[in-house]
Amino acid sequence: MKKYRNLLTFFVIVFVGGILLSFVTVQDKVKPAPWDIPEKYQKMENPYVGDESLERVGKILYIKHCRSCHGNNGEGDGPKAASMKTEILSFTSEKFKEEADGVVYFQSIIGRDEMPNYESKIPEEEDRWALVNYIKAMKK
Amino acid sequence: MKSKILYILLGLFVCTNLFAQEETTEVKEKDKPVRFAWESGMLIDQQTSMVPTVKTLEMVIQHKFGSIDNGSSDLWGIYAPAGNIRLGLNYVVANNVQIGWGISRRNMYNDFNIKWTILEQTRKNKVPVFVTVFANTAIDGMDRDDLELYNYDMPYARSRFNLKSRMSYFAELIIGRKVTNALSVQGAVSFSHANFVPQWQDHDRVGLHFNGRLKVSPQGAIIFNFDAPLQIDDLSEQNPGWNAENTPGWDGPYHPEPNLSFGYEVSTSTHAFQIYMGNSQAMLLQDMMINNYNGIDFDNFAIGFTITRLWSF
Repeated sequence: MKKYRNLLTFFVIVFVGGILLSFVTVQDKVKPAPWDIPEKYQKMENPYVGDESLERVGKILYIKHCRSCHGNNGEGDGPKAASMKTEILSFTSEKFKEEADGVVYFQSIIGRDEMPNYESKIPEEEDRWALVNYIKAMKK
Repeated sequence: MKSKILYILLGLFVCTNLFAQEETTEVKEKDKPVRFAWESGMLIDQQTSMVPTVKTLEMVIQHKFGSIDNGSSDLWGIYAPAGNIRLGLNYVVANNVQIGWGISRRNMYNDFNIKWTILEQTRKNKVPVFVTVFANTAIDGMDRDDLELYNYDMPYARSRFNLKSRMSYFAELIIGRKVTNALSVQGAVSFSHANFVPQWQDHDRVGLHFNGRLKVSPQGAIIFNFDAPLQIDDLSEQNPGWNAENTPGWDGPYHPEPNLSFGYEVSTSTHAFQIYMGNSQAMLLQDMMINNYNGIDFDNFAIGFTITRLWSF
């Protein structure tokens, strides 16, 4: 009888431990594949580069559309980021800062996979560039 | 009198239409509409001038719980059996033109509506206001063949409750302005008509509306709404001289009460969530203008919420 009791205790510990462990195990995220940016966007000029009057617009659009995944400071740590399959990269990294504005425009507005398309939600070109400017100016 | 009102509304509609065509051709080149005036096409029970981009589907979920007068015994109305729900779908068919359909729990109203923002306030103030027209027609969908009306002269008479009796209408002209980055306000004048009302009550009602929002954080805003049904003697079917002596059975006058709502709005990319308190159980605007007899007393207030969700195609 004691043998069965020990066996039962063992299974209970393994079962409960397994459940608890599932909460703390880090879920692996998929590294984002390289973007296939059309040439048109790679060469696209930002007509509003350095336009400080759009800073407020960019901030409002970022808070409304982007913050829930990309986080307050663009570090990819927003409340919805945890449920994404793909790792969200930081907007504050040097690598991101080196991206052309047109590339950021394509990634932000056109999107792919888990990154939604924002063409209809941000219909105006001026507003789209305001968002690009805001994202590219984010600092740690 | 009815025809006079009809001509006024028709004239107003045509005038704004002509005005719109003149303005927009000029405005398109020089001035753009202001940004972020409203977060949603709905403000509590009312409409705003915001119409999403073409081919956007909007789902609207409106819920009002029971009144708070029973206190903690029914969790301030949240667990009360009374209450009202409306589920609606809106679709943007053309630039600034939206059509919609909704079903309310109260009287199982099926409403079909259209909203058109004719003019948009522009950044350089070339057009200083938003001008929007909204109209709906609703069908009382309650499962009842005949209706036992209380009629003083014929107390047990039953009336055929056919499709014509079930219809009601609402039309509204809304003028709005984004005053500052935080404050947007709207005023509106409306006309409501119900084909069927209880004995002695009015079929027609003109109303005034005032509402707005004050942003207190990038995603949060305090919101308010006030709807006032007007008592216009020329329009009323109730004679001011009626009393219990000269009109047996009369216990009027029947004047609908105004509706006051206030709450808080939180908005995200695709959602707007508004939680509020209001004194009318109605959600459909003609129902509110014609049938609301809940005064602005603390006990009549009920907690409610309005959620909108957008999908773009």
